[in-house]
Amino acid sequence: MPPADPYNEEVRACFANPAHAGELDGDHARVLAAQAGDAASGARLALSAGTDNGIIEALRFRAWGCPHLIAAAEVFCREYEGKPLAALRQFYANEWMARLRIPVAKAGRILLLEDTASMLADNID
Amino acid sequence: MTGDAVYLDFAATTPMDPRVADAMLECAGADGTFANPSSVHIAGRRAAAVVEEARAALASLMRTEPGRLTWTSGATESDNLAIRGAALARAHRGKHLISMPTEHKAVSETFRALEKEGFELTWLAPDSGGLLSLEALSRALRDDTQLVSVMHVNNETGVIQDICAIGELCREHDVLFHTDAAQSVGKLDIDLGAMPVDLVSLTGHKFYAPKGIGALYIAARPGLRIFPILYGGGQEKRLRPGTLPVHQIAGLGKAAAIAARERQANYRHVSAMRDRLWHGIADLPGLQRNGDIESGYPGILNVTAAGMDGESLLLALEPVCVGSGSACNSAVAEPSSVLRALGRTDAEAQSAVRFSFGRTTTAAEVDFAIDRYRSAVTRLRAIAPVT
Repeated sequence: MPPADPYNEEVRACFANPAHAGELDGDHARVLAAQAGDAASGARLALSAGTDNGIIEALRFRAWGCPHLIAAAEVFCREYEGKPLAALRQFYANEWMARLRIPVAKAGRILLLEDTASMLADNID
Repeated sequence: MTGDAVYLDFAATTPMDPRVADAMLECAGADGTFANPSSVHIAGRRAAAVVEEARAALASLMRTEPGRLTWTSGATESDNLAIRGAALARAHRGKHLISMPTEHKAVSETFRALEKEGFELTWLAPDSGGLLSLEALSRALRDDTQLVSVMHVNNETGVIQDICAIGELCREHDVLFHTDAAQSVGKLDIDLGAMPVDLVSLTGHKFYAPKGIGALYIAARPGLRIFPILYGGGQEKRLRPGTLPVHQIAGLGKAAAIAARERQANYRHVSAMRDRLWHGIADLPGLQRNGDIESGYPGILNVTAAGMDGESLLLALEPVCVGSGSACNSAVAEPSSVLRALGRTDAEAQSAVRFSFGRTTTAAEVDFAIDRYRSAVTRLRAIAPVT
């Protein structure tokens, strides 16, 4: 049997076109930022959120790590734009393990996203 | 192109040459030389003639006597047979063995297995270019040293060891010298009549022969004896039992004959392809070539791009097929032990890519790989967080 493709279609699409990678543009009433990870752990992730009246208007990420991390960050930004800031506290990355077919050995990568989102939420007054 | 892929991973394996495939087909089917070459009937004798013709072709390529070559299933088996067979045959004289951490796992894991059985190993670290220091080897040799194993061309970096100098040093100390030549046979000029090497492992699929066939060269030298590691029939002078795969052997023989004629042209071709690729990417910031440049086989170019995640780089390079600086035998890639031995950090090793070129590589493929590599490195750096 040939080795299975380690990346599903969603991971491949998000990795190839990470539309939310980069910096926030436009004016936002408030900008929140958080960063986690380091070179020693093999991955780093930074999130920034432009908000107004408790709503996430725009999300951007910067990531250094494997394709699963980059894809997860892209999916996260895409899905949390337009949501209330409070929703950041309800993000449980392990629910995306199956969706993005992330191997158990790489759970740390997706937990890095959860940690960064949680730090972003902690910046809310 | 290989389908929709650009194949630049010839150090991993090569496609079979169509002329090799034709030679193999002549052995297939009811009208072919399919018979067991150990059989004494006419069909068996015809098959045996094919086997010996191939042995002669390989011997001619390596400039040795056909009788010095033993067929195996490939370099892994040859390495096991050479190292284990020699170590066990000489165990009564001593149990000290010497090798390097940059060896292929077929060598290093065989030594590690012997360590568990009471042999003592000295692992000699290479310099930052991947080369073995003869002074270090000289210091490591002891009265009870029985075997030294150092590969000819490194499969990850292309670094060529000075096996003549190493072999001479071993002979001065009456120590056997084995080299894994999987990456050099058919590509470099090998004159076993002049090289002080006792045991040489090779495999066919690195030089356009089929997978599953290789050989072990055993020098004609007093006191050189190795034990078999498999038991069965009396084939291959009782050293390697098993019915010989005539079609595989015919393929390897044909590949050897082709290499003898075309090796120099192929060498010039892969040199040009390697230089073309390097010149196409060398201006990218933070690039580092791995392995001694002066003494490298030009068919391999190993490059680290600072700040890259190796797995993301490989995916971004698709459909260019290359080797990575990671041992992807687990869900999370381990950094290459070869590059670590050269002093690279885990991060540097994981961001390394091995391009390797072959006789079918085209300039258009190399140009495509240049574009892909440049855009991948630039894109991944652009989305990385600022440190």
